[in-house]
Amino acid sequence: MARKRNPVTPGEFEDPLNNYDPPMYQDELERLLCETEVKSMRITPVHCVSKEMTVSAVLDLMWAKETSCVVVTDEANKPLGVFSSKDVLYKIAGNDALYSQPIEAVMSPNPRTVYATDCPAKALNLMAIGGFRHIPVVDVDGKVVGMLAPRRTTEFLEAHMH
Amino acid sequence: MGLREFISYETVADLHLRPALTAVPEVSLRQAIELMRDNKLGCIFVVDRDGKPLGKFNERQVLRVTRDKVSLDEPVGNHTVPLPKSGIVRLDTPVEEALFGMRENRMRFMCVVDHDGKVIALTGQRGLMEYVVDHFPRQIKVQMMSTKLHLNSREGA
Repeated sequence: MARKRNPVTPGEFEDPLNNYDPPMYQDELERLLCETEVKSMRITPVHCVSKEMTVSAVLDLMWAKETSCVVVTDEANKPLGVFSSKDVLYKIAGNDALYSQPIEAVMSPNPRTVYATDCPAKALNLMAIGGFRHIPVVDVDGKVVGMLAPRRTTEFLEAHMH
Repeated sequence: MGLREFISYETVADLHLRPALTAVPEVSLRQAIELMRDNKLGCIFVVDRDGKPLGKFNERQVLRVTRDKVSLDEPVGNHTVPLPKSGIVRLDTPVEEALFGMRENRMRFMCVVDHDGKVIALTGQRGLMEYVVDHFPRQIKVQMMSTKLHLNSREGA
């Protein structure tokens, strides 16, 4: 049975978007956290290494580049894992036998990533609540385009707090 | 009232503080590294007999001693880096001033001392991030942690 519709009286049409409330932000930082993209933060340089590189060579690279984290990537530049100074503290320090091992054996595999087009609030959620210190930034194909680190995130927050 | 006003009058006591790890300079590198591992913290403050900070030993120094294959029986006091004056804050230091010190010195950790100058706690970039999360829970805590795209293929025809 066909549903009976009330005829619309001309002039009584109500725009449904009249009820739409755009989000209200109490702060400029709050708006930027939700409405900008991760790629507007400082996400480069990022140092990528192959999984065959030795631990010793990676330590040299980290020291020379003054970085505390490298991304281990495959041939297509997709992230396989991350190796950070935290891994040096927990796995390498005092364990000389690991120096000649490939980095694949000691990296933290399957890292959490964010898309370059995600909002900064998502990155902050992963870092402050999830506890991930270094987060590779990937494009829509999953290729590494950058890296988020605590200093880069706090730089973004500070720049918009004052 | 926005975050800008908050940071001008809230103090370091309002940031997320963690108990600090301390060691005297004679402690061996091996013991210092074990202490960091056991407490899941990337920084130890090396203190004098009165508990006042002399320097810090953090993951960067662990990377250096590991890379240079330094014997872990050496005292930690030989491998500390000095703490800049603005890297030491009190509980009543305004958040704004602590932020400035952290930025100026490119520090991940800040040393919190009491009125006698003794180390009592530690805060830093993580503490600042958690402070921001506390102010904007409606925007940050609702985010999904998964990275999977909701659509694997184009919707529609």
